[in-house]
Amino acid sequence: MVHRIHPVTKMVWVLVYIVLAFTTQNIFILYGMALFAIGLALLAGVFRPLLKAAYLIVPVGSSLIALQVLAPAVERPWTPIAEIGFVTLYGDGLYYALVLLGRIISSMLLTLVMVMTTHPSDLFLAFSKLKVPYTFNFMLAMTLQLIPVFQREVGIVLSAQKSRGMKGSGFSAVLPSFVPVFVGAIERVQQLSVSLESRGFGSSGNKTSYRKVTSRTQDWVYGVVGAVAMLGLMVYSILQPRLWNLSDIVVFAPETVLVTFSVAVTLFSFVIVGALFLSLRKT
Amino acid sequence: MSKRNPKSTAPDTIDTDLAIKVEDAHYSYPAGNVVALSGVNLEVDKGELLGIIGQNGSGKTTLTKLLNRLLKPTSGNVYVNGMLTTPRTVQEMSAHIGYVFQNPNHQLFARTVKDELEFGPKNIGVEEADIAERVEDAIEFFGLQPYIEEHPYRVSFPIRKLVGIASVVTMRPSIIILDEPSTGQDHQTTRIINSLMRRLAEEGTTVICVSHDMPLLADVVDRVIVMRNTQIISDATPREVFADRELMLTTNLQAPQITEIALGTVTPLGGPIALTPAELADDLENRVKKGAQK
Repeated sequence: MVHRIHPVTKMVWVLVYIVLAFTTQNIFILYGMALFAIGLALLAGVFRPLLKAAYLIVPVGSSLIALQVLAPAVERPWTPIAEIGFVTLYGDGLYYALVLLGRIISSMLLTLVMVMTTHPSDLFLAFSKLKVPYTFNFMLAMTLQLIPVFQREVGIVLSAQKSRGMKGSGFSAVLPSFVPVFVGAIERVQQLSVSLESRGFGSSGNKTSYRKVTSRTQDWVYGVVGAVAMLGLMVYSILQPRLWNLSDIVVFAPETVLVTFSVAVTLFSFVIVGALFLSLRKT
Repeated sequence: MSKRNPKSTAPDTIDTDLAIKVEDAHYSYPAGNVVALSGVNLEVDKGELLGIIGQNGSGKTTLTKLLNRLLKPTSGNVYVNGMLTTPRTVQEMSAHIGYVFQNPNHQLFARTVKDELEFGPKNIGVEEADIAERVEDAIEFFGLQPYIEEHPYRVSFPIRKLVGIASVVTMRPSIIILDEPSTGQDHQTTRIINSLMRRLAEEGTTVICVSHDMPLLADVVDRVIVMRNTQIISDATPREVFADRELMLTTNLQAPQITEIALGTVTPLGGPIALTPAELADDLENRVKKGAQK
């Protein structure tokens, strides 16, 4: 069902989602949006790939929580809840860390679900129907398609480096590979541009496509209902200050803040140490 | 050195005169669990000139990447110069086995051609004086003198290909793998590559050439491995392989044209299974002379 929704409807949802996520500071709305996106992912059968892409949330989330508890992004005075050596932990930070994290998670999850359930050609066909310039449309399409190509090129170049005895890994190995990858990229782009021109790219006149993206009544319904609901929620929460920001209502116990901070710091440390270990170890 | 699998019972080194020994090697690419090699066994003597042919996807490149440890076999053992490859790194193996990639653009990193030729020997700790001698030797052999101060990407593609090969030759590994060395090359460059392979083999280097260029292989190699569907299905001399029409048909390969002509003309009359135009021409000349004498 999600796959068949019109790409423009999905784009509207993503846009409105992002607007709502970045205007509200209500963690129930934010995490409710995230759960809704997960529900869509389950419905669309893309939950497992979504989970893989969502690993990024762990380092981002843990660092946000750790930093916010140490230095909340709110006006002073802050409420100290514990001291570890010379470091003071503040309870106010946890709510705002959850707000920031909620914004990232809800926007990211819905965007990923929409990207995973939309064929790129359909998306760009939809863009063209919205009168987005054809060349801009094509640039976006090519960028998405060339990313895995360049990833593969980097892998091959790194193999070639290792085959000639080059030691080191991580950034010290990647840096010399920039030259062959960039040269390869430029050569590929040059060849692509010649190929495009030879096949009529840039000619005037209407562009046609063998793909058909038709909008159904339910696409309009989803789009309008979704947009109205989210915008309505946003307006309502602005007009009702108690709904806009729940930091006065949702107060975390000091033990909760301490435990959450400890878990966040531990996770973040693991991520940093793991990354350092992987970059320094010999393969 | 990378970690050795504690469950592995294969000896770390074996006492052997073979350059390469592959024992029941299997490989599956992790993405999509694609089987690329199934139960491959191979022995290559030192100084041998070996050609590997097969359709795209038959496992040729995967096999060669197992040899220099770019890939680790899913099961089975690969020994290079008696050393098990699995617990070793690509960098360690690079001193023993050189790999020339099909696209030279993937190999070239340095600012000048000369720096490129020095890159490999420096990495493996060759003495400065030796590096200079190796680089001079390579420059002379490959005719790179006019280009030594040029940026590798400023020279033409055929020259870049020679630079790519030369940059591995200067490491003087005892085994060299060439992946499609003549693809996209003009006749002159192909002849240089041809004579390089012969020269290396004469000097005792084991040369493995993966190629679709059947005339090149027919002219140079001593032995041909035919791969199909992740397995080695034939291992014989070029003459035996290219004369086997059924093998060529089932593997969707084509013997060199000159061999096809010979098989259709002189070979049934007792003539050779010609691998080169010169062989066929010699036989035809002899036949004409004999015919004239009668």
